[in-house]
Amino acid sequence: MTLLTLLPKFFIVAFSKKLLLGFLLYAVLVPVAFSIDIIVNTSVPIQRNSLNKTRAIFAQQLNYWSNGEKTRVFIFKDDHPLHKQFTKNKLNMFPHQLRRVWDRMVFSGTGQAPDLVETEEEMLEKIANTKNAIGYLTKGSGYENIRLFEYE
Amino acid sequence: MKIYGYLNMSRWGLLFCALLISINGQAELLPEEIQIHGFLTQDFFHSSDNNVNGLSDDGISPGRTEIGLNISYQAFDRLTFSAQGLYRRAGYVDKGSVRLDYGLADLNLFNYQNGHIGIRGGRIKIPFGLYNETRDVAFTNPTILLPQGVYFDRSRSLFTSADGGSLYVQHRTDWGDFSFKFNYGLALGNNEEIMATILSPDAKGEFKANPAIATQIMYDLNGGEYVFAVSYLDLKLKYHSADNEVFSSGYTTIRPLLFSAQYNGEKLGLAAEYLYRWNHSKNYDAIPDNRSITESWFIQGSYRFISQLQGIVRYETLSLTIDDRSGNYAVAFGLPKHIAYSKDWMLGLRWDITSSLMMRTEYHRIHGTAWLAQADNQDRSKTRENWNLYALQVSYRF
Repeated sequence: MTLLTLLPKFFIVAFSKKLLLGFLLYAVLVPVAFSIDIIVNTSVPIQRNSLNKTRAIFAQQLNYWSNGEKTRVFIFKDDHPLHKQFTKNKLNMFPHQLRRVWDRMVFSGTGQAPDLVETEEEMLEKIANTKNAIGYLTKGSGYENIRLFEYE
Repeated sequence: MKIYGYLNMSRWGLLFCALLISINGQAELLPEEIQIHGFLTQDFFHSSDNNVNGLSDDGISPGRTEIGLNISYQAFDRLTFSAQGLYRRAGYVDKGSVRLDYGLADLNLFNYQNGHIGIRGGRIKIPFGLYNETRDVAFTNPTILLPQGVYFDRSRSLFTSADGGSLYVQHRTDWGDFSFKFNYGLALGNNEEIMATILSPDAKGEFKANPAIATQIMYDLNGGEYVFAVSYLDLKLKYHSADNEVFSSGYTTIRPLLFSAQYNGEKLGLAAEYLYRWNHSKNYDAIPDNRSITESWFIQGSYRFISQLQGIVRYETLSLTIDDRSGNYAVAFGLPKHIAYSKDWMLGLRWDITSSLMMRTEYHRIHGTAWLAQADNQDRSKTRENWNLYALQVSYRF
């Protein structure tokens, strides 16, 4: 919508209603094209997941999969564009909220922080080769040993 | 000399600092079960009157240094060991010491669909309000000085950590998450500030703490967007009087009840806490047995202009004894009336230069002297009722 308001008036008038609708649709669909996938190593048991549970996994509040094995969480740095997108779009949170929870644990001896990765390649490599691993990528399908993680 | 107070850090501080830097450089070589984190904070204070963390009055005091280094080792899936060493110096209250801040074993006992139960044993941080468990970690605090009415710095040793055990429960529901902690342990009881606060700066004996109960229930919604908590502590201090002193071996109980609420939005943050504390002193002879209630609350708002820059404003008020909000009793004891209360307006700016380097500054306009440390202000008759305080902080973490 902000882009639309930037367009000069005459420009909008010149377009037919159909084109305008097309443009609006495009504006809505673009963010979806950049959506982020949550991925897990194939060793992770298939379980029913909710948004709440997914948040708890990444916040390191829920540390065990349904088979009782310990989760291994991988993330990018707080100011990484992918991390910002992920917390906002996938967890419905903000990076500083996750940081608050992790810091409270790390500096009071009540928990550990997730493992940091620098690049998407490193994320792929870690998730593919680490048992019980979970992380996120721009496109997570089509890799060996990696499965998409879904929640309702 | 007066202007800079004492800058010389003890050997321990330097050693700790060097260790921190060298370990940070090798963090990547560690096995995955081990995590190491740390922080280093230096604060500077300047005040128009009254001293805060050293000689800040009409000078600049580099009066507070905090260096922490922690290790966490996941020995088994359900068993974790962790410990943190803390070097701290704060004005004349703490001239520099290294202490084991926490050192514990954490055993996850039971997991179910929506939560878990576990126990911890060893030296454990005391859960109290929004900030106490990580009160020495600048990055986790909203401001350089925490609201002093709730998080007294001068009697902090009673509140930092205790040796004992803890039971914790976490339960998730579709309408928010609950967490509960019940700690039982021996807190550090003795220091001159506590003696000065409870008895008199002239007391010569020693306080010892009995095992204390610390418990907290916390409710949070939307992954911590809204947080509500109630914390309660039951602490008893026994006094062992020295020979030839006016005070006999009495005891004091301190029972603070604290209500907390917090909102963490994308840009806007809000926090408020209300403290109601029952105090009871008995059998000291030289001072009459007394019961009193301390009350304090604050309300705080912050705004993130951009993700690295945050502004914060807070109002805080403290009455040491609600029966004597204007300080008449204090005058009867020969103390200035403003020792009974404080009201503090605070304005601050925080700049996160990188995710591991932070700098901030704050200004306080304060009415009253209730939370001033005795060690920094030996002669109370020289303290002023209305004063300004400026603080600057640089902090690094990894």
